[in-house]
Amino acid sequence: MVESRHRWLSFARIAAITRNTLTELVRLKVFYFLLIFALLLIGNSIFMARLSFQQEFQVLKDVALGAMSIFTSLLAIVTTARLLPQDIEDRTLYTILAKPVPRFEYLAGKLAGVLLLLAISILVMSAMFVAVLYLREQVLLSQILRQMSGLPAEQTREAVRSLEASAFNADLLPGIIIIYLKSCLLAALTLFVSTFATSNIFTIFVMVFIYFIGHLQATAREYWLQGNSGGWIAHGFLAMVALIFPDLQLFNLVDDIVVGTAIPLALFAKTALLGCVYTSVYFFFAWMVFYWKEL
Amino acid sequence: MTEPAVAVTGLTKVFPVPFRKQRLVAVRDLNIAVGAGEVYGLLGPNGSGKSTTLKIILGLVSPTRGKTEIFGHDSCLVESREAVGFLPENPYFYKYLTGEETLRFYGKLCGLRGARLKARTHELLKLVGLTEARDRRLGGYSKGMLQRIGLAQALVQEPKLVVLDEPTAGVDPAGSREIRDLILALKHRGTTVLLSSHLLTQVQEICDRVGILANGVLVREGRVDELLAIENQTEIILENASPKILGEIAALLAKSETRLVEQRKPRTTLERLFLESTQPLNRKE
Repeated sequence: MVESRHRWLSFARIAAITRNTLTELVRLKVFYFLLIFALLLIGNSIFMARLSFQQEFQVLKDVALGAMSIFTSLLAIVTTARLLPQDIEDRTLYTILAKPVPRFEYLAGKLAGVLLLLAISILVMSAMFVAVLYLREQVLLSQILRQMSGLPAEQTREAVRSLEASAFNADLLPGIIIIYLKSCLLAALTLFVSTFATSNIFTIFVMVFIYFIGHLQATAREYWLQGNSGGWIAHGFLAMVALIFPDLQLFNLVDDIVVGTAIPLALFAKTALLGCVYTSVYFFFAWMVFYWKEL
Repeated sequence: MTEPAVAVTGLTKVFPVPFRKQRLVAVRDLNIAVGAGEVYGLLGPNGSGKSTTLKIILGLVSPTRGKTEIFGHDSCLVESREAVGFLPENPYFYKYLTGEETLRFYGKLCGLRGARLKARTHELLKLVGLTEARDRRLGGYSKGMLQRIGLAQALVQEPKLVVLDEPTAGVDPAGSREIRDLILALKHRGTTVLLSSHLLTQVQEICDRVGILANGVLVREGRVDELLAIENQTEIILENASPKILGEIAALLAKSETRLVEQRKPRTTLERLFLESTQPLNRKE
């Protein structure tokens, strides 16, 4: 018997699959949605120019962060849903798994490719968002300085300070990170569903269903617990529902950020950890199903 | 004793049929041993269990009973695939990659890097005649070109065993002949080839041994020349034989107990005729 030099885990192999997945998605021209995002931002800032600057920035942040959340969620679901069924249908999966590539590495590479795509998307959207905020801030600043040219310096400084506080601030960053983690969670869950789904249309359909349940379940749980004392069985059941249908409302921290309230560090850390745990658990489930799958 | 390249022992695969009590037996108690350096052909009609057998050997499907080994390694283990290259039936590789990118991707999966990967990629593109098309995306490749790039990816890590599932399915005679020549080149280099095919003439030309599967059972197995030989007949092919010589042979035969079964002009094959007629047109892909 020939001695094997095979390594049970190779980051180089995972990196090759990650890069290939990213190339596939980029060449599928999925980044076109960024154009829609840019148009949305520009259109919004033109339309909102009639409001006061506090209102304008508030609406701009609300629209931008909301669009980021929806676009990354959609991108995570739609791109991940096609990866596995497409490889099986084209028999490309056979050629990869017939090489010394463990199934874990194949799945990890695919998911990492999607997560990288989501990271690039959110970085580009954030850059566009910050650029629009900065440009509007500069335009409004020159207007304020012009309008208040005859007034006392203290009053002008106060107006400028107020404008700067309404525009870009560091509190936006945790909100954007949480939006990214939510999309990672959705990508991992989509990958899990696609390991046993029969087609990518079915996967997308199931994920849209989970997406809505995920946003509504917190309200339903609160309502249900109000009417019932909630013993350990009820709590166990609710915990299981929360695992199958992730509580996506927990990742909705942007409302506070939009009105200028900073997210407490503890809440940010807890939500970020929850996103990482959900993503890891769904990836683990995906691997378990895929490991035993007959191809 | 030399270790077989592929050893299939007591292999049975049963698939459950959804929503029914009955089960489908795809392969039943199969025993095959493919020697190192041999070209082995697995034949059989559609649904006879050829592809299932190949998938089990490659670890893509798990056996219900029995075991398969590749050079002594259990083929369920990932490390057994270090020595294997596989070309599935009618593959569609990543359309968005070019020929060169495809080979680089598969090379990386096999642990090739840097200058070695580059050299191997160029070598394979030359071997399968795709050097000119290296920068074209696979979406624009013809069926024959896809099959050739598929064969190249199967060979990327210089495997000792190459498994080919219907390697010439859907390919025109010229492309089919090229793939046949590549398989023969592998054989001369000592690579073991296990293939399944419907093209019996081609299998006859390239395989050392064949196994015939029917309903998941190995019904015949052996060396091609032995299986095809008709024991009580002898074939003599004459060139420039005059009618007088032929008459003398016939008279000689008439005096003995030998029966002349058939006397006819040998014919070329349709494949050879096709290739000769289209020779200048080939290789323009």
